[in-house]
Amino acid sequence: MKKIPDKEILLFKSCLVNVEYPGVESSTKYLFDKLGIEYIVSERQSCCTGLGHYADLFDQFSTTALAARNFGIAKEEGHKNIATLCATCYAILKKSCNILNDKDDIREQINKILDGSGCHELNYDADDMDSRENIFHSVEILYNKADEIKDLVKVDLSGLRVASHHACHYCKVHHKDTIGNARDPMVIETLAKACGVETVDWYDRKTTTCGNGFRQRYMNKDLSFSVTAEKLNSLKENDVDILLHMCPNCQMQFDRNQESIGKSVGTEFGIVCLNISQFVALALGADPYKVVGVQTHTVPVDKVLGKIKQTNLCQ
Amino acid sequence: MNNYNFSRYAPKSSIDIGVFLCRCGGNISDTVDIEKLASSIDAKVVKDFENLCSMKCQKNIRDIILEEELDRVVIAACSPITHEKTFRNHIAPLNPYLLEMANIREHCSWVHSDKNKATEKAISLTNAAVERVQYARPLDAIVRKTKKSAAVIGGGISGITAALSLANQGVKVHIIENKPTVGGNMIKIGKVFSPEKLAEECSLCLFNPLINEAVQHKNIDIMTNSEIKSSERKAGNFNLLIERKPGHVNEDKCTACGNCADICPVEVPNEWNENLMTRKAIYKPFPQSVPDIYTIDDNNCIKCGKCEKVCKMNAIDINMEGEIVPLNVGSIIIATGHKGFDLKKRPEYGYGRYDDVITQMELARIMGVNGPTDGKLLRPSNGKIPRRVVMVQCAGSRDEKPEGKRYCSKVCCMVSLKHASFIKHYYPDTEIVICYTDMRTPGMYENYFRHVQSKGIKLVRGRPGDITKKGENIVVRLEDTLRREPMEIETDMVVLSEAMEPSEGTLKVAETLNVGLTEDLFVKEKHSKIKPVATDIEGIYVCGTAQGPKDITESVSQANAAASKVSEMINGGLEIEPTIAVVDGRQCEMCGECVAACKYKAVYIHNERISVDPVACNGCGICVSKCENNAIDVMGQTDAQIFAMIEGMLKDKKEGERRILAFVDYIGYVAADNIGINRISYPESVRIIRVPSINRLMPKHILFAFENGADGIFLGEYPDEVMYSSIQEKVNEFRSALIKNSIDTDRLMYYKVYAPYFRGLANKLAEFDKQVGKALDKLEAVLYKASYKDL
Repeated sequence: MKKIPDKEILLFKSCLVNVEYPGVESSTKYLFDKLGIEYIVSERQSCCTGLGHYADLFDQFSTTALAARNFGIAKEEGHKNIATLCATCYAILKKSCNILNDKDDIREQINKILDGSGCHELNYDADDMDSRENIFHSVEILYNKADEIKDLVKVDLSGLRVASHHACHYCKVHHKDTIGNARDPMVIETLAKACGVETVDWYDRKTTTCGNGFRQRYMNKDLSFSVTAEKLNSLKENDVDILLHMCPNCQMQFDRNQESIGKSVGTEFGIVCLNISQFVALALGADPYKVVGVQTHTVPVDKVLGKIKQTNLCQ
Repeated sequence: MNNYNFSRYAPKSSIDIGVFLCRCGGNISDTVDIEKLASSIDAKVVKDFENLCSMKCQKNIRDIILEEELDRVVIAACSPITHEKTFRNHIAPLNPYLLEMANIREHCSWVHSDKNKATEKAISLTNAAVERVQYARPLDAIVRKTKKSAAVIGGGISGITAALSLANQGVKVHIIENKPTVGGNMIKIGKVFSPEKLAEECSLCLFNPLINEAVQHKNIDIMTNSEIKSSERKAGNFNLLIERKPGHVNEDKCTACGNCADICPVEVPNEWNENLMTRKAIYKPFPQSVPDIYTIDDNNCIKCGKCEKVCKMNAIDINMEGEIVPLNVGSIIIATGHKGFDLKKRPEYGYGRYDDVITQMELARIMGVNGPTDGKLLRPSNGKIPRRVVMVQCAGSRDEKPEGKRYCSKVCCMVSLKHASFIKHYYPDTEIVICYTDMRTPGMYENYFRHVQSKGIKLVRGRPGDITKKGENIVVRLEDTLRREPMEIETDMVVLSEAMEPSEGTLKVAETLNVGLTEDLFVKEKHSKIKPVATDIEGIYVCGTAQGPKDITESVSQANAAASKVSEMINGGLEIEPTIAVVDGRQCEMCGECVAACKYKAVYIHNERISVDPVACNGCGICVSKCENNAIDVMGQTDAQIFAMIEGMLKDKKEGERRILAFVDYIGYVAADNIGINRISYPESVRIIRVPSINRLMPKHILFAFENGADGIFLGEYPDEVMYSSIQEKVNEFRSALIKNSIDTDRLMYYKVYAPYFRGLANKLAEFDKQVGKALDKLEAVLYKASYKDL
């Protein structure tokens, strides 16, 4: 397995996390602090372009150029190990890193642009970063500390029925770097287990996409929602309370659209969507509102919070 | 630079050398001035002949050798590739290795037209041979005798076939099988397909006679429950230690009545039936097991002693202990086979989650008359006959994702057709759907494919994405890639065509014997095209699925090939060229660097001494350069011989003359000969020197050449996959040595040589000559500037 760092980490902010589910970032920070992971967040960091890139608004070149700038910032601030909150940032940065290392002409063109913008110090030299050794998903950083998490659990969540949704951009794009079997990565399961919660082992459609597909969600709405609905149906059949995520895109698709999808298929799903970091933070006793940020969710989290309170050991 | 220590090899004070020049009926003498050449050579006897290779000349040469009491002979004539053997015979009674040849035809008269320059070059080629021959030592051909015994590891169809072939040739064979019975996978699969036949045949009926023959053969000793613990090479033989695990049943007393199993209280899954049914802790794997006795499975036996009491023959001994058996054999055949791919690694296919998703091997057991359902096709979940069976091809094969196998497992298309045909025959109402990637039924198997297709099976091109359950039924989801639409197939049984992967035994044996594996962890052949069944260790061969996925037909012919290779070793009384590495035990400190460096695995440690397997060693010489204590030498390619050759090639170099030394391996030499044969020219500056490999050369040789006036050094070698990486290391080593000594690296060139691409070599030599010229001009300019400054 690849080597996962626990220091010199740049926690890479995500547009969607910040706007939609700020609790994902605050939960991750909460956990990193508890686990003694040394990290920074940089105000200078820019977007990875992911949303725009997949909507054909940003081409690969500008995406790569922005990545080069972000890599420059990571290096300059002495935190070369990037941990993303979003699976799309993860995949985009890895791809850009490989392009910058392998394609001399593109790297040179980008360095010229950086020079022209007065950012000479952010220039990228080949192999400045290694996509396998320097770019991670923040959930991988947590996964690496699963044993420590086990010892820190304060709240008993074992009464909840949870299932995982591993983001495609985490497990399918750079599948050689995916921890575990890329066809069934057990990263989320392992963390849930560390919190004392067994996940639903396998449910139909477990490995299918959330359906969002970036522009598909807007251009082919019916197709997009039909995929989401299939998965929701299967989760419902398995009596799942919480679907655990590692990508804000997926989380939005299942959380924000659940009600309207439910109406169109005549089902009330009531499946709570939490990022795995939010879930682990809850297990470690984080404040559901101030840290986990459940108030920003569409499907009310209160339902499961109530279940926790009933079985809570500490509060 | 000239103070290299030659004293170790010092020739005796006065060596009398005879040089014989060949005119080759004008082929040489038209371009080379033979009189001038003869007068320029310093030797006791210099004589020229019209046709040296003729029988008449053989007598002349011998007479002169005896008359003049010559110690060494140089023949300046054609290529040694053509006539070295002839001339080695010609110089008797001298030892054949006291001969040196100068190739003044292919490498001189045929490639140059300027008579003066050609003559000058012929002189230096002959001089080099004269210098070198002084350091020649008499060598004797090595005769190797291989012991007339072999170990065959694995008692499946491949192992049994190889063992029978050897035993029939009078070789004593030990079959070492880690299971309690021989038979391997073939005995489990029930039916087999064959080329040229449209019918499925009974595997047991084909295989059992062979097994019985092996059991009764006086030259075959079958050891079941046995594994190789260690192996040591000794003078071309192998000392093996075999661990025999206790079966707790005395073979001579057991009548296989089965009373013991009836009373045994322990029930465990029966692996021989793919765990589809149970067996007892004391058991016989299957009715036709060989040896035909019961055996106790130590991992599950609770030692209650009930079986011991019930056995009327007193055959059972619960306290029986295992033993370690030493075996000394001449050769080893690895026939350790394969296992089915672990389908849990494809979780989306639901294997292990749904009872009715099974493997092809499980289906074979279910349909085997001696299987869990007595041959009836029944769903494991409810014991009913399936109305539809969906087969999924490439389950684990042709899969580039991690955990998958990139290769095609080769047999699964035929296996699924075989089972489809069989099901259709007995259960015509059961529908068969095969989801395939490509149907691969090459050669005569295509006839069988058509035959089964005509029975009304359905084929869908597409690889299922996932398999799930809806109520009682299983649903296979896939895209029909011919119609380009997604589809769902409801069925009540799914059969996954699992990939073949190397068995644990294959991996273990490879490690114990130190044989190389392929990227996919099968046993690697020395050369998959021209050296099949040979492993990278001399004397160890491989056959069957241990070497890669294949069917029974192919396994059988491979097993026979392996057996014939073994008997070649035994019967050949192999005579080996003595030009191999030799270790001087007094100098050796056993650091093991040579063992690690030898990619041919010819160097090994035995009895705390480094030994060289003369058959495996090809004299490449990489070990010499790794040895810090100068404890290894390659016979016929000693340092002294190489230095003398270099010195001779550069002797009497004139002011302004350019000399390039081209060190080439055998293939390079053949290519250079081809240049001559095709009368293509290249610069006269080039002098070709044959070495076993560039790996024999060391920086000291390269620097010595430059110090003695070489203008450039050309290295040519066929990029053999075994040694290629070390050649690249070598070339880099030379480059850095040049940089350290302020020599322009443009004066060194490495080129990959291919025998048929001799024109490329000629062009490259010309190009290099120009490159060297430029480098020298540059050097001149620098020197001129420097001297100008000094003024």
